[in-house]
Amino acid sequence: MAERRDALKIIGSISATCAFPFAADELYAQHEGTHGAVSGQAALPEPAYFSKADFATIAAMAERIIPATDTPGAGAAGVPAYIDFVVGRNPAQQKVFSAGLAWMKKQTKGRAFAELGEKEQLAILEPLCARCDAGPVKGTGERFFRAVKALTSDGYWTSKAGMGETLGFKGNAILGAYPECLHEH
Amino acid sequence: MATVYDVVVVGSGASGGTLAAHLARAGAHVAIVEGGPKINTRTDFPTHSMPWEFANRQIPKMKPGKPGMESERARGLGGKTLTWNAVAWRFGQRDFKGKTFDGGGEDWPIDYADLAPYYERIEREIGVCGNYDGLKDLPDGVFLPPAPYKCSDKLIDKGARKLGLKTIHVRKATLTQAKFGRPGCHYCGNCMAGCDVVAKYNSYDVHLLPAMKTGKLEMIPNAVVREVMMGGDGRARGVKFIHRETKAEGEVLGKAVAVCCACVQSVALLQMSAKGGLANSSGQLGKHFIPHFTGGVEAFLDGLVGTPLKDDEGFLDHAYLPSFMHERKRDYVRSFGAQFGYQNRRGIGWARETPGMGAGYKKAVKDQYPAFVVFSPYGEMVPNAKSYIDLDHGKLDQYGLPSARRQVTWMANDWKIFKDMQNWSKEIMLAAGAKIQKVWDEPRTNHELGGARMGKDARTSVVNPYCQTHDVKNLFVLDGSVFPSASEKNPTHTMMALAARTAEHMAARAKKGEL
Repeated sequence: MAERRDALKIIGSISATCAFPFAADELYAQHEGTHGAVSGQAALPEPAYFSKADFATIAAMAERIIPATDTPGAGAAGVPAYIDFVVGRNPAQQKVFSAGLAWMKKQTKGRAFAELGEKEQLAILEPLCARCDAGPVKGTGERFFRAVKALTSDGYWTSKAGMGETLGFKGNAILGAYPECLHEH
Repeated sequence: MATVYDVVVVGSGASGGTLAAHLARAGAHVAIVEGGPKINTRTDFPTHSMPWEFANRQIPKMKPGKPGMESERARGLGGKTLTWNAVAWRFGQRDFKGKTFDGGGEDWPIDYADLAPYYERIEREIGVCGNYDGLKDLPDGVFLPPAPYKCSDKLIDKGARKLGLKTIHVRKATLTQAKFGRPGCHYCGNCMAGCDVVAKYNSYDVHLLPAMKTGKLEMIPNAVVREVMMGGDGRARGVKFIHRETKAEGEVLGKAVAVCCACVQSVALLQMSAKGGLANSSGQLGKHFIPHFTGGVEAFLDGLVGTPLKDDEGFLDHAYLPSFMHERKRDYVRSFGAQFGYQNRRGIGWARETPGMGAGYKKAVKDQYPAFVVFSPYGEMVPNAKSYIDLDHGKLDQYGLPSARRQVTWMANDWKIFKDMQNWSKEIMLAAGAKIQKVWDEPRTNHELGGARMGKDARTSVVNPYCQTHDVKNLFVLDGSVFPSASEKNPTHTMMALAARTAEHMAARAKKGEL
């Protein structure tokens, strides 16, 4: 049974699957610096869990799911490193990712997903996305896409680039008075 | 000779903090024994943290390296008031006499009039904001000005009105203007991470620290109480504890003991203290566990989709939908009320479910962001034999103590309320012009209550109307565990009023030498 605070935390918060007791400053430090860049082509950091090739695939998928526009995309927001962090600590996710990455290699006939052109990448991803949006999915590719999209979403929208720059988060400020709603709603 | 205190209070949250401070002010020599460490509310909480500061993107309960809030038995001086949302309702007469009113559950042995002066005393010493609404079932108190409505509150109120309902300003133990040497709320938006200026009430800063000036109060943190010790005369003589860090054992002696460990842990402590449970001649200890249940919906208000984002998350929820079904024809007993909009904007889990990918997906999430609302009704559970608290001896915690186990079985009446409150949640949000994103279709427990219920009859209850156990005259239990019925309203204000009433009773009895 969830305790009251836990129940509240889960509402509107990122999924409990990526919750870890977290205490160390060095994790923060390690993660810092993955947010600053605004260019969509920031160099990938070293993965701790994935192989370099797999990490490049995931980074390319994440960037297609949330591309750079007038604000940074998933890569510049540090999403690949976040996915590496979460999957590296979650055996259930590891199964989905390893099956998914193998599935992806078949689709690309041995070529690296990250090296494909935009059209070729989208030709693989967009049908998966459409099927995930339509309802529950069972296929390896669909489950893989759904997992990558979920973690890309969690990682991006909780990053400084996603929450701060893209969404324009304004809280966490000291206000003299509450900005009461005076609109005619 | 070891010190023998007049009263040993176990637990330092809303009930223990209020009781200890009131007793010390009345001249009693009080020890407050808390399992957790001393927490500095001004420096130790990640109140102003953002998720991107942490590799897992979860804002932790404490700043890295700061102890506290580690387990149910070791939270910290101030207990759950450090991280509560501060909602502070008075119960109405209907809440105390539910059985008389609709035939279900139990009546309390006291009336609203018994508790009203103590509600007022608490409001005058900690500060509660709210509007004077004149509602029969939600009595007004002594209020500071309410926090104004958010845009989303106005839209939801408009929807509710279409259905013949009306929302009110929430009432919270958070200052909306400077008072009592504490600043007013500055609306930073992370109340439940710990308020670092004490605009929001917590028992450590508001009750315990000022009571230290009496010279009558001693705080003993890091002491996880494992047993209420009994003397050969059938009276409690103190408590045994395990030190949170060193695991060394210790004792605190007192002429009276008050157990205030937040419902489930209070029951567990009595169950650990004697075979068959201490103060359990009635066999009722642990029974009648009646936590609130919640469900609700997550939705996007059309009127706010794509609008410029406002910095309006401060103070969390600002409005409330009071219970209305208890006055209408229904096929169940009791009812529900609803909080809404107490999420802040630092978690965006819903964006996973937003369809699509690419630039279109990114824009869709940005458009939805100002419009996201969680609507959270709270239902009242009627006691049943299959819902109780016991000890799990097979599962020991880090202190080697058996874990408290919560057994909850939803009965037909609970399901009827749950289904009705889910329907109303959807109807209200649709009337407010919202797209529903997610429905929470399983009840989840919240606000733990019951397990050591209050009554006049020693055969059917654990404590008397002054929270004194029927069996052990100098042993008291104060917190949600004594509630015979739960009401649908957030319980903390009632716990504090009970503590103030019991403190006055204990002090009066002590003066006559009757304790």
